[in-house]
Amino acid sequence: MRSNKTLAARAVLFVAIATAQLHAQDPSPLSAGYDAEQRGDWAEAAANYRKALHAGGNTAASVLGLERVFAEINHTDSLLPVLDTVIAERPKDAVFRSVQLRALRMLGRQDEERAAFERWVRDAPRDPTPYRDYARALLEEGRPQTADSILDRAQRALGSGREFLVETAQLRATMGLWDASARAWRTVVDSAPDLASSSAYALRPTPRPSRDKVRAVFLAPPVTLGARRALASVELAWGDANDAWMALSSVRPDSAAVAAWDEFGDAASAQGEWRTAHDAFAAILAVSHAPPPALARLAIRAGDAALRAGDALSALAMTNRALATGIDSGTAARVVLPLKIRALSALGRASDADFTLSAYAKFADDSSRARLTRDVAWGYVRSGDIARAKTAVAAAGLGDDRELAGWLALYAGDLGSARTALRQADAPTADLVTALALLARTRADTAAVVGRAFVDLARGDTAAAATQFVAASDVVRDAAPLLLATAARLHTARREDAEAIPLWKKVVEQYADAPEAPEADLEWGRALARGHDVQGAMSRWEHLILTYPSSALVPQARREVEAARGSATS
Amino acid sequence: MAAAALARAARVDLWHTAVPMLLVPMDDDQQNHLKAYGLAYNTLKAGIKGEWLLNYKGGSFLIPDLPEVRKRAALAGVTVTPIADADLEAARSEIASSNMDSIVLEKAPTIAVYSPPKSPPWDDAVTLALNYAEIPFTNVWDEQVVAGDLPKYDWVHLFHEDFTGQFNKLYINSRGAPWFQEQVTRDQDAAKRLGFASVPALKKAVAEQVRAFVQHGGFLFAMCGATETLDLALAAHDVDIDGPFSDGTPMDPNADAKMDWSRALAFQNAHLETSPLVNAMSDIDGHQANVPSRKQPLGAFTLFSFAAKFDPVASMLVQNHRTVVPDFYGVTTSFTKATLKSADIILANEEGAPWVKYIHGDSGKGSWTFLGGHDPEDPQHAIGNPATDLSLHPNSPGYRLILNNVLFPAAKKKPLKT
Repeated sequence: MRSNKTLAARAVLFVAIATAQLHAQDPSPLSAGYDAEQRGDWAEAAANYRKALHAGGNTAASVLGLERVFAEINHTDSLLPVLDTVIAERPKDAVFRSVQLRALRMLGRQDEERAAFERWVRDAPRDPTPYRDYARALLEEGRPQTADSILDRAQRALGSGREFLVETAQLRATMGLWDASARAWRTVVDSAPDLASSSAYALRPTPRPSRDKVRAVFLAPPVTLGARRALASVELAWGDANDAWMALSSVRPDSAAVAAWDEFGDAASAQGEWRTAHDAFAAILAVSHAPPPALARLAIRAGDAALRAGDALSALAMTNRALATGIDSGTAARVVLPLKIRALSALGRASDADFTLSAYAKFADDSSRARLTRDVAWGYVRSGDIARAKTAVAAAGLGDDRELAGWLALYAGDLGSARTALRQADAPTADLVTALALLARTRADTAAVVGRAFVDLARGDTAAAATQFVAASDVVRDAAPLLLATAARLHTARREDAEAIPLWKKVVEQYADAPEAPEADLEWGRALARGHDVQGAMSRWEHLILTYPSSALVPQARREVEAARGSATS
Repeated sequence: MAAAALARAARVDLWHTAVPMLLVPMDDDQQNHLKAYGLAYNTLKAGIKGEWLLNYKGGSFLIPDLPEVRKRAALAGVTVTPIADADLEAARSEIASSNMDSIVLEKAPTIAVYSPPKSPPWDDAVTLALNYAEIPFTNVWDEQVVAGDLPKYDWVHLFHEDFTGQFNKLYINSRGAPWFQEQVTRDQDAAKRLGFASVPALKKAVAEQVRAFVQHGGFLFAMCGATETLDLALAAHDVDIDGPFSDGTPMDPNADAKMDWSRALAFQNAHLETSPLVNAMSDIDGHQANVPSRKQPLGAFTLFSFAAKFDPVASMLVQNHRTVVPDFYGVTTSFTKATLKSADIILANEEGAPWVKYIHGDSGKGSWTFLGGHDPEDPQHAIGNPATDLSLHPNSPGYRLILNNVLFPAAKKKPLKT
């Protein structure tokens, strides 16, 4: 019995060992190579790729693996003999040839790279790949003239330039031949719209004087999606979002075009071009046949973009559009309600926002309700009804919200309470920074005019806010230069240099020791420059440099002087 | 600048009055080396003399401590330090006992830049430097040179013109570019208007005028392709070295043997590039940047040190806060040693390389300085690249070499070399 049991145990053990050995043999050298590469074990990876190469099978994968691994350990020269062997066996294989060119380039052996290219051409005379690969490499190396000669030779050898349109287009861009590049890219993207982003990348550096020619190329009939996508991308890169959308919006709205519009809307959003993003999403909405929930979400995307662009009315219209799709109340509360309340609040229609919240409150969870109540409270603030804002806050149990309390105190002119409460505010908005700077600067605890100024600011009435800040400077005298500078900044943002200049002047002349004085000098100069008083502007900047030599604004002033001098002599 | 205030100050005999002085350090204490040259130049221009302290704190300047000078320094961001009498004495003592010297800067030179009326899509480093340092200059072009205007100026800089008249051989790759076609038309029209049979003939005449300018006491500075092509044009006085694109006729097959190097300023026994399709002029250029199969990699070049008291001219030309400067490409990047004349003074070279970077020499009563490369702060410069913004490179050692050349004609004496 004992001997049978022992035999059985031994058999089990034997099987276990054999199985383990089998597992050890199981992974192919190629997969073992991948695994080692993933772990960063370069030596083992290289050994396995070599083994895989000798074993035959997927030779290309082995060679590519060796290329990656040798690059990691700076042994790219070890790849060359391997490549010589595989190329000798398969001289027309483009993968091996490309790897060889890359390796020689990485090693800085330009002459050998050229020789390798010539051998490839000799061995594959009708193949455009060597010309294409080598031309691209030359472009990357910053050798456009040589790339040009290679492409020229390719066209003569193969009898057609169409194979090399992309490289030709890139080359022309590199050489600053924008018109020619645009024409080549136009031909490319008309048949391959997916390359629109490549064309945009290449044409992005087009200098301003050459841009109209590029535009003309892509706008020329026929209207193709590829050309319009390319132009839209490059216009967006040039900062001309409106022109970008104009180019793209005129394509026939089939599914490919709509997908392009969607992509464009996202790109515009990413660049903060909200108005254009809204236009793109609204255009999609107009032609979309998606089911209601998807339509509603699309409308909300458009509405959100509109609100971010400052167009609360359009945002509100989009929320109504979303609700009109017939989505259920739960979806409406989740998807539409937040935007609708924000839009109504932004329009100062706090009562309507309040009513809307009440109608959908039961579908919203607690944290959403609290967030939305804040938005309603802001709506009351924007309509100037601080009392109702306080009531809304109390009714929603937001009394512990320090930031909201701080703002309400500030709007009421209670600087003391605001000073304590706003210290704990989270989101660093421009208004908050201004408020905190003021509250830190003055010892005053009450100033109704300051409250009125910030209410006007919250309502978006910057003209009225500027007037109030100026008035406040006579009341809160220890913060006068800050208040005057704030008013001046508002006028400057509104392009009202005539109103801003006297304020900057007052800061410089009456508060020369204030921290705002250097900024006042700089901005006063800029305002004068915009009014074409270059001499006046330069005297302001020189005053800044000489009077406040340690100011962080001195380098900016120097650059302004250089720029003014340059434009004066050109 | 309040020139009137400075001019009033200039009437005071500053060298015999105990006038407080300002030291403009040119070592790493200086915030803006390039504008410091402008400060020194414009102070001179207002009639106030200064001193250039060779090898002292990077080649610093000593100028009178006047309110207007301080104001200009502050506006330009140039570091200046008032130097007390005792400290000045100590400095002079150090200068006297070391490889240093003090050169009086007496008169601001009048400057001309030979540059086309409309800029092509590349910039001129010297023009950038002069503009940034606020050193005034006059643009001259073929009309003015042929009319004999060069003697009106003390110092002339040559834009990277191709004095062989071959348009820098840019027809090889840029024939279709609008700017190139415009340039060709402009030069052909100018040749016709000024009575020359071809552009090469016009440019040779311009080269001869430049040579005469130097021979009669002028100071010449050239960079990039202007260096090599000027001498090729001078040596090819009676030889056709241009390809058919330029003058409709092929190059003289025996051109090499017929070159008269005695007429050239810096080079001799160079071999011309005979192929019109190879983007090089001769073997003067060591790097051959535009010929892919010959192109040499960039290294760094080292400025030589000279005996300031005995070789002040060379010393002035190499004043710098760096000894080793990263190299930069150009149509002509460097000068092969084999093509230099024995009298050429090598100011900088690349260790172990068969070429040098920066050379100087005398010709007749004047002198010339050649610096290889296009833009010291744009080593790989390509056509169409944006202009270098020197406000980002206020301490550029490469640009200092250019500005050394601007200021050295202001030196009071032209001391003799040993």
